[in-house]
Amino acid sequence: MNKRDLARLVKESNVRFLRMQFVDIFGSTKNVVIPVSELDRALDGKVTFDGGSIAGFVRSEEVDMMLKPDLSTFAVYPWTLDGETEGRLICDIVQADGESFEGCPRTTLKRAISDAREMGFTLSTWVEAEFYLFQRDEDGRPLLDGNERGSYFDFSPSDVGEHARRHMVATLEAMGFHVASAHHEHGPGQHEIDFKSADVLTTADNVVTLRNVVKHIALERDLHATFMPKPLGDGAGNALHIEFMLREGERNAFADEGGDRGLSPTALYFIGGLLAHAPAITAVANPTVNSYKRLVPFWDAPVLTVWSERSANSMIRIPSQRGEQTRIELRSPDGSCNPYLTLAVVLAAGLDGIRNELLPGQPLAGSTYELSERLRAERGIRELPHSLREALVELDHDGVVRGALGDHIYHAFHEAKAAEYERYRRAVHPWELNEYLALQ
Amino acid sequence: MTTDELLAFAESLARISAAGGGPKAYASHLAGRCRGAVLVEDAEWHHLALAGAGERSVPPSARDLIRQASRDDEGFARAQLPDGGHVLAYPMRAGDSDLGWLVCLGLDGASGELAPLLRLTASAIAVDLVREAGGAKGRRRSFWERLLSGSYDDAGAARDDAAARGVTIASSYVAVAVEAEGMDEGAAARQLSDVRKLCLAHLHHQSGETVTIDRAAGFVFLIPAPLPVDAQNVALAASMLPKHAVKAKLDVILVGGVGSRAADILDTARSVDEAREALVIVRRLFGGGRVGAWEDLGLYPLLHRGATRDELQAFAQRTLEPLRAYDEKNHTELLRTLALYFSVRQNVKTASERLNVHRHTVFYRLRQIAEICNRDLDSAHDQLALRAALAIDALLSPAHTPS
Repeated sequence: MNKRDLARLVKESNVRFLRMQFVDIFGSTKNVVIPVSELDRALDGKVTFDGGSIAGFVRSEEVDMMLKPDLSTFAVYPWTLDGETEGRLICDIVQADGESFEGCPRTTLKRAISDAREMGFTLSTWVEAEFYLFQRDEDGRPLLDGNERGSYFDFSPSDVGEHARRHMVATLEAMGFHVASAHHEHGPGQHEIDFKSADVLTTADNVVTLRNVVKHIALERDLHATFMPKPLGDGAGNALHIEFMLREGERNAFADEGGDRGLSPTALYFIGGLLAHAPAITAVANPTVNSYKRLVPFWDAPVLTVWSERSANSMIRIPSQRGEQTRIELRSPDGSCNPYLTLAVVLAAGLDGIRNELLPGQPLAGSTYELSERLRAERGIRELPHSLREALVELDHDGVVRGALGDHIYHAFHEAKAAEYERYRRAVHPWELNEYLALQ
Repeated sequence: MTTDELLAFAESLARISAAGGGPKAYASHLAGRCRGAVLVEDAEWHHLALAGAGERSVPPSARDLIRQASRDDEGFARAQLPDGGHVLAYPMRAGDSDLGWLVCLGLDGASGELAPLLRLTASAIAVDLVREAGGAKGRRRSFWERLLSGSYDDAGAARDDAAARGVTIASSYVAVAVEAEGMDEGAAARQLSDVRKLCLAHLHHQSGETVTIDRAAGFVFLIPAPLPVDAQNVALAASMLPKHAVKAKLDVILVGGVGSRAADILDTARSVDEAREALVIVRRLFGGGRVGAWEDLGLYPLLHRGATRDELQAFAQRTLEPLRAYDEKNHTELLRTLALYFSVRQNVKTASERLNVHRHTVFYRLRQIAEICNRDLDSAHDQLALRAALAIDALLSPAHTPS
């Protein structure tokens, strides 16, 4: 799509305002809204914003930033604001001189994609996004004790969030997204929406869009939507499962009919790379203090660096389809991650596995929760970090994952997350009061 | 150049050799005669020595010069430098091995008399290099030969001797035996060298150096494997070698075997024996283009060597133990399901009736069995291993022995 096509589309869609969207290093959506009269300037990448006020872009020399829109991401929101139609464009952040900005998560992912392309690979991805819908009290606060008691794949009427979920899917489809399926998840009020396959950059854009749409529709229905990794202590956490398929030309590079389990050496190396860099990836894919409340041996959450063909609680699972449908699923990321950075580090880890021929050992059969210490040691299996602090230490020591983030994002991310952990460490939590206040 | 002058030059080379030799000494001597610069590089174009450069501009490597040079029938390479100076080079060889190049640079063009001196010096340096390499290599080879022939009484003695010989050894190894089939007689040495390089590129572990032991039509590699998972990865990497060889267009068919992990250094010989036995079995049963792990060959090694009762029992125990352990822990009956499935000629419907379960349950259990045992129930070879293990278990295990 060129600028002229887009201008025509904007006019035909009766768009009055355009949201120029981007994300900060934590994956939070930011936007600069422009009236459609400023469209030409926006399409020429002339819209500026104050980078100093965005987390992760804080250096004084980065105050003047510009938004370079990706025209292929144009979409019209199927809702109106005060009767005005809104469209959106997802943007890369560039410096005032037009040079790419190292702190832009979308550019970071593009760099990883370019590395893959140089090795002859393109990546397709599928995502499964989980989230909770909570009712609100009179003051608009979410009621965590639940609005329903539905469970995995439950059918109405127990799934009272179904109407909201259906509305969300319809909205996403109206915006041109390809939703593969949607269903109730394990937890009460927990739902999942799955996207069809897309190239890796589109997948990251889709995750951001999904989060915005889910939150918007929930708000419209007086519900509170959350992608928080573990909102309920005794309920399933919110994962962001990602499936990968690497293509080499027209061929699925993961498939090999005569290979071990129908997997090619490339697939095994990719898995080996993911396992080798898993602890450092965790810092990015599970970037909040709360993320580590999910990574415990319950509710099929992964806790060990293992791969399996069937086990739902392994970090990496190989879905049963083979041949051209052969894929690798990563199950550790959660709903709080920045999808651009997560996909960038995961891709870098997989490519490192291919470059260095890192092999993953044999897959594990059965539940990973039952693995003995001895077996873990023999198989070189490591536990995923227990806390954000541990994950940051792992990140410090992993040159591949750090390299994929780039110096700017690594330092800004590390500083912010270390501070976040420190705030958590200093806080006295309700559990502690409940447990220790009455101590003699 | 007269014969006497040539003899005198040869004698001077002998004196250099007697004094300890070294590429630098030979290069200096030759530089004095040719009034040019003399560069010595090994077969990988690594710098060994430079003499007589003076004010001359000498390229960091002679690689590009040699590659672009014209060659004569005697093997000399001739080229010209950008400043007009001439280059004359001669390969350093020992038998079939290329050891590098001896290069004279900045000559005034009259290189006719220099050629025999260059050739003699190249031979002298080649002898020197072979002797040098042979010393360290010989000491290394001797250690591994002693280890594999069982000359050491305990691991400590082996480690002490390795240290004394300057050999660094890993805590444990996995052996991989590889042979090449379909080699061209005229190019066999080069093809074997390519096979060796290919194997070393793909069989390695970060914790230590891979040991290569030459065999008639191939090699045995000892790859460090500190953990059992490293042994799994070696078997996996080895299984990919035939495909790598095809991709690299080596024009040979690889066949190989992988031994089980030697947890103790003294156990390395057993791993080598298993690797070689696996190679033989794979070649006879499956033909070329495949590398099989001894541990995955099931019953075949026992048939090949004529197993004892204890070995048969150990095989049955090793094969069925994962199912037994799973059944015991989860109160399931996978082992019984497997035995019944085979006894009813793999008829799922009949098996489900005998087990009083739905046939879907039988399918589910069979998938579990395949995953837990790491076997493919559709494979005739894996079926044979499981059937044999069940039969041996029934015949020989103490629980079934008539009192």
